[in-house]
Amino acid sequence: MEKEPIIEVRHMVKNFGPTRALRDVDVSFYRGEIRGLVGENGSGKSTITSIVAGMQKATSGEMFYKGEPWNPASMVDAQLHGISMVLQEANTIPNCTVAENIFAGRFNEFAKANSFLSMKKVNAAAQKLLDSFGLQRIKATDNINQYGFEDRKLIEIVRCVSDETEVFVVDETTTALSHEGRQILYKLIHRLKDENKSVIFISHDMDEILEQCTDLTVLRDGEIKGHLNRAEMDEPDSVKKIRFLMVGREIGDAYYREDYDSSHLPEVALKLDHVSFGPIKDFSLELHKGEIIGFGGLSGCGMHEIGRAAFGLEKLSEGKVTCGDREIKSCLDAIENGIGYISKNRDTEALILEGSIAENIVLPSVNALSHGTFVSPKAEKQLADGEIENFRIKCNSGKQWVNTLSGGNKQKVSFSKWTAKKSDVLIMDCPTRGVDIGVKQFMYHVIDEMKKQGKSIILISEELAELIGMADKILIMKDFEVTHEFKRDPKLSETDIIEYMI
Amino acid sequence: MSETVTSQKLDERTSFKSFVKTHIFDLTAYAGLAVMLVLFLIFNSGPRLMYNFSAVVQAAAVYSILALGAVFIYSMGFMDVSLGQQVGVYVILMILIGNKIGGPGGVVVGFLVSLALALACGAINGAVSIFLGLPSIVTSLFLMFFFTGAQYLMMESTGENTIKLIQNVKPADRNTYTLMLIGIIILLAIIGNYFFNYTKLGKYTRAIGANKVAAKQSGISLVKWQVLGYMALGFCAAVASFVMLTRTGTAGKGTGSGYAMDIMICLILGGMPLKGGMKSKISCALVGAFTYTLLSNVLTTMGVPLNWVNFVKACIFLLIVLLTCRKPNGVLPR
Repeated sequence: MEKEPIIEVRHMVKNFGPTRALRDVDVSFYRGEIRGLVGENGSGKSTITSIVAGMQKATSGEMFYKGEPWNPASMVDAQLHGISMVLQEANTIPNCTVAENIFAGRFNEFAKANSFLSMKKVNAAAQKLLDSFGLQRIKATDNINQYGFEDRKLIEIVRCVSDETEVFVVDETTTALSHEGRQILYKLIHRLKDENKSVIFISHDMDEILEQCTDLTVLRDGEIKGHLNRAEMDEPDSVKKIRFLMVGREIGDAYYREDYDSSHLPEVALKLDHVSFGPIKDFSLELHKGEIIGFGGLSGCGMHEIGRAAFGLEKLSEGKVTCGDREIKSCLDAIENGIGYISKNRDTEALILEGSIAENIVLPSVNALSHGTFVSPKAEKQLADGEIENFRIKCNSGKQWVNTLSGGNKQKVSFSKWTAKKSDVLIMDCPTRGVDIGVKQFMYHVIDEMKKQGKSIILISEELAELIGMADKILIMKDFEVTHEFKRDPKLSETDIIEYMI
Repeated sequence: MSETVTSQKLDERTSFKSFVKTHIFDLTAYAGLAVMLVLFLIFNSGPRLMYNFSAVVQAAAVYSILALGAVFIYSMGFMDVSLGQQVGVYVILMILIGNKIGGPGGVVVGFLVSLALALACGAINGAVSIFLGLPSIVTSLFLMFFFTGAQYLMMESTGENTIKLIQNVKPADRNTYTLMLIGIIILLAIIGNYFFNYTKLGKYTRAIGANKVAAKQSGISLVKWQVLGYMALGFCAAVASFVMLTRTGTAGKGTGSGYAMDIMICLILGGMPLKGGMKSKISCALVGAFTYTLLSNVLTTMGVPLNWVNFVKACIFLLIVLLTCRKPNGVLPR
């Protein structure tokens, strides 16, 4: 029997100024499927789903939802009609309770004849919803600021999925989730599939896509490049085929570092000496020149805080951070001493979204580009253009604003700030978050080259494969303490590490 | 073939729309200035044109110089409500010192003292708010009350309602004076443009306004550049006070009153984003100052009573604030 599409997209075009994000796209989504959408950063995955979910309008083309023309006025309108979307970035309202976030815009349901609002009912209903998702540990009456990024993402999921949801779009959300969060989300999307609803699942994690999706659509440069059904996804060379469709060329097998030489220069580049702050007590670390130290652990284990302290962002109660002979007391000291930091919170801490790509790239290097008081625009342009070319940032020019870039391209800008600065020590907190396979391969190559040049790297990552593949030494943290240290070893597997994380 | 043509038309339309969307503030500001210029030319003909042109330049000079300095703090998303009272005190100081010492040297000393005070106030304004974690408006409110008190005490000490500079600092010929003011505006605009677009000061103040955390994590000292931004405003406040003194030669308890809000309106009319950031432009100062002065001039020439002039200005300000606040990130300065 011919399957009936729930959403049809016909001849969709989306332009951002001169950039063509979607070029005449035709695609249908069906009931009872979990459709994976994969493609490089800027390939148009999020653009299609954001138009379907009412976040933005198409330049031209038409859409049909349950057979009727579909042109949602907003995301709220789409959600009221059964299309919900969870975004990659944080989308909760700060300084409100969890319950207020979950029922924002729907308080009328809890007010008698549009009069007094019963917060007791709101809180009870929110808690019931949270419990039904297996999130009993999150309290509806708590202020949302108390919860970390991962938990807030889960709260967003609870907010946007209801009995009326017919289409659920998950846009690279899993990169923000812990293992527990991912399991909750997987359970939810399979439940929706079983209820004959439709799930659109965007991810850069190929294993996740192959495990969770029933169908797959591949995009490249704003065009559909292929569809795979479950049987095709199960074929032995499916990953190779998908990668080829995504990138348009053979990726090759060289992905992580191929050597197992964990040697480094004897000089210490960065030292954390009996450092204590917040829940971290008496932590010490020596990072040598030409060394990559990886940090792994579950969310809230303290690894991100170590990165911040090494960059001078944490106020220490005891101990000190030193770079050579100089003590690092602030991030200004850190940068002056050749330390760079790629923050996990890209949009809020690393980038000026309402600024151009070039302005972002050159910002840490403005001092170096100054002659007296004068900062040469030509030198700035040269520096920025070089990084744009190196990182293959998809843009019209360095003048394009960062907030018009896809998540992965934003991450490239965040990374390139410090390669442009030629930092000797680089602290990377989840550097490949939301980045596609081709760019990941490039970033790993850059990290490897930096090691060979004698530069030092702290690699904080939630992806164990990345740590195993790139680090000379892996420190696993749990409850703000290092529970185990692994040396670089070809036999090292994720299973060996996980037992020290949980 | 027809598909290609349609696609080209679509591209042209979207790139035009995108240009308009990106430059909406600038386009509106320049359109506003053009409209005011046309109205000015319509309502001022014959000999009145030159006279009123000179009056516009004289009034716009003070606004332009203050606005050029204010761009540095507005680009950080801050504001200074003490500006008017500061100008009042600096003018009174220049007169008192100038008269005490006597001769042109007295005025120079008066200017230098005012400049030193203005720079010190800038440093205090910038540093205190960051060290105490206060919004800049709170610190400038403190300075506003302080300067209001100082202005009253200084005037009370003279026993007069108005004081006058004995030394004449204004060229006798009106046209020469107008040309001199135009020269000062151009010179300061060139200096302002250099510092705002080609030095760390402008680049860093814009970055602070766009994202303070990202700016800090990119190696920008918030304290240093916030202080320097306020000191740039202080320098312009001292120069503007001197220009005001050359124009009026007198000062009183009300000198400078209302300038802080006028400068805010000038910048808004000039297309300055209220939240600061990378879209801030030095040209906003000049475009806004001249639009605002021409608006006042045109309304008066049209015979609108003074009270109504203020009412019209208030309506325009309200309209712009409403329009900018309706934008997702268009918030008032911190």
